[in-house]
Amino acid sequence: MKAIRFAWREAIVSLRRGGRSVLLSIGTMTVAFFALGGFLVISSNLQRLLERWTEAAEMSVFLRDDVREATVTSLASELRAHRSVTTVEYVSKDQALARFKADFPELVDLAGTTEGNPFPASLELRLRTDPVSSGAADALATQLVNRAGVADVRYDGQWLSRLFAVLDGVRLVGVGIAAILVLGAAFTVAAVVRLSLYARRDELEIMQLVGAPLAYIRGPSILEGLLLGASGACCALVFLWIGFRTAQVRVGDAFAGLAGPEELRFLTTNDTLLVLGVAVLIGGLAGAMVSRALR
Amino acid sequence: MIETQNLTKAYAPGRYALRDLSISVAKGDFVFLTGPSGAGKSTLLRLLLLEERPSEGTAIVGGRNLAGLSRREIQAYRRTVGFVFQDFKLIPSKTVFENVSFAMRVIGVPIDHQRRRTYQVLKWVGLQHRQHAYPSELSGGEQQRVAIARALANEPQVILADEPTGNLDPDLSLDIMSLFRDINASGTTVLIATHDRELIRWTGRRTLHLEHGRLVAPEHVEERGSLA
Repeated sequence: MKAIRFAWREAIVSLRRGGRSVLLSIGTMTVAFFALGGFLVISSNLQRLLERWTEAAEMSVFLRDDVREATVTSLASELRAHRSVTTVEYVSKDQALARFKADFPELVDLAGTTEGNPFPASLELRLRTDPVSSGAADALATQLVNRAGVADVRYDGQWLSRLFAVLDGVRLVGVGIAAILVLGAAFTVAAVVRLSLYARRDELEIMQLVGAPLAYIRGPSILEGLLLGASGACCALVFLWIGFRTAQVRVGDAFAGLAGPEELRFLTTNDTLLVLGVAVLIGGLAGAMVSRALR
Repeated sequence: MIETQNLTKAYAPGRYALRDLSISVAKGDFVFLTGPSGAGKSTLLRLLLLEERPSEGTAIVGGRNLAGLSRREIQAYRRTVGFVFQDFKLIPSKTVFENVSFAMRVIGVPIDHQRRRTYQVLKWVGLQHRQHAYPSELSGGEQQRVAIARALANEPQVILADEPTGNLDPDLSLDIMSLFRDINASGTTVLIATHDRELIRWTGRRTLHLEHGRLVAPEHVEERGSLA
């Protein structure tokens, strides 16, 4: 406890004495964690948008007019058991015609110009989000085209699969950029801690000579790194919140229009704690690495 | 109190700072290490402070063999040794009081005891009235007194001093030597490295003469005399 109190006091004194170098270090931590938090906010909102679109995506399996009922029943059962499918609904030729008339009342006459009912019966599939994102739905659509009794398959989710792939790529690049920035910030924190060690070299020499425990010798440096990390992350979160509110005002309506009832969301509590935790950890590690030479 | 056996320190093959040094300093002794610059006086003190490790040989201080000490044991050992340097090594940003109490604060001594002991040692070196002054406001002699007070703070069994009067004029040097004699009179073992033969003669204590890292003269006691 005494060691923590000592480390706390020394770290605060050291940060006060640090002046511009401390501000620079907090600034780089802020930029790095703003980027990391920004990528988290953007990617989580894009993810929700795509999931929302995916939920609305359907696969329609059009059946041949001469298909036997047993084949339809067997295919429907098979699809219900498929891991990519959540619901299967059979739409008969009559139901299809009725839907058409209900959806396009102005075209009702057009339907009457052809002999008989031109609409095929179909199986309408709702799909799980994950298989769509992984492209499994594309494979299912290709597989169904060749099945006996199937006239055609219409699936409008291929582009979503591509968007998911793009999102994965963007996320990877984002995490890569954030990791580089965080690494740079860690080096800046290490440099500031090293500077403060230099400023405290007289004290450190005395501490070593009088037999001070390592907690007293290294503690202030580690705590200094932790405080720099935490300060940088807090600033980053504040700026991120301001940026988020600005974006909410400017593009919030557009997002809601695209995503239905969904709204733009800030970082979850877990993500916020993650950003803070990573920053504190990086800062503490930088401080620990620098002070490792002190014995 | 201090025993060395064939203590050797080489910084490069064939370049010895200390060579086969075997000395013995009893508990309560006051001993001078003397010799020209480069004789190995400071090296011996650094080895005894465990700032460096010997290349060969053993050093035993207060019953501890310094060769096999772990990090924690080194810390514990250093708490039993006071040190005084030529350049005082005071912390410029701390007051006299803070400089002395710092030595106790960083080893976790309770604050009440820190205060009491700091007043005590400052009074003992005659600087209680300068406790709020910063090192830059003190004379060289006063700064060295603060350094001595700090060395005494943790009630060490032995005091190691490396040219403690090297930056002081003769009168101040005598004052400092008187302090060391008083410290020794209270039972603390004192080992001082100096090349000031006049001071040694005046103090009149046992002397170990080093040259080229070796003990060259037999141990002898200088006659106490007066400075010319």
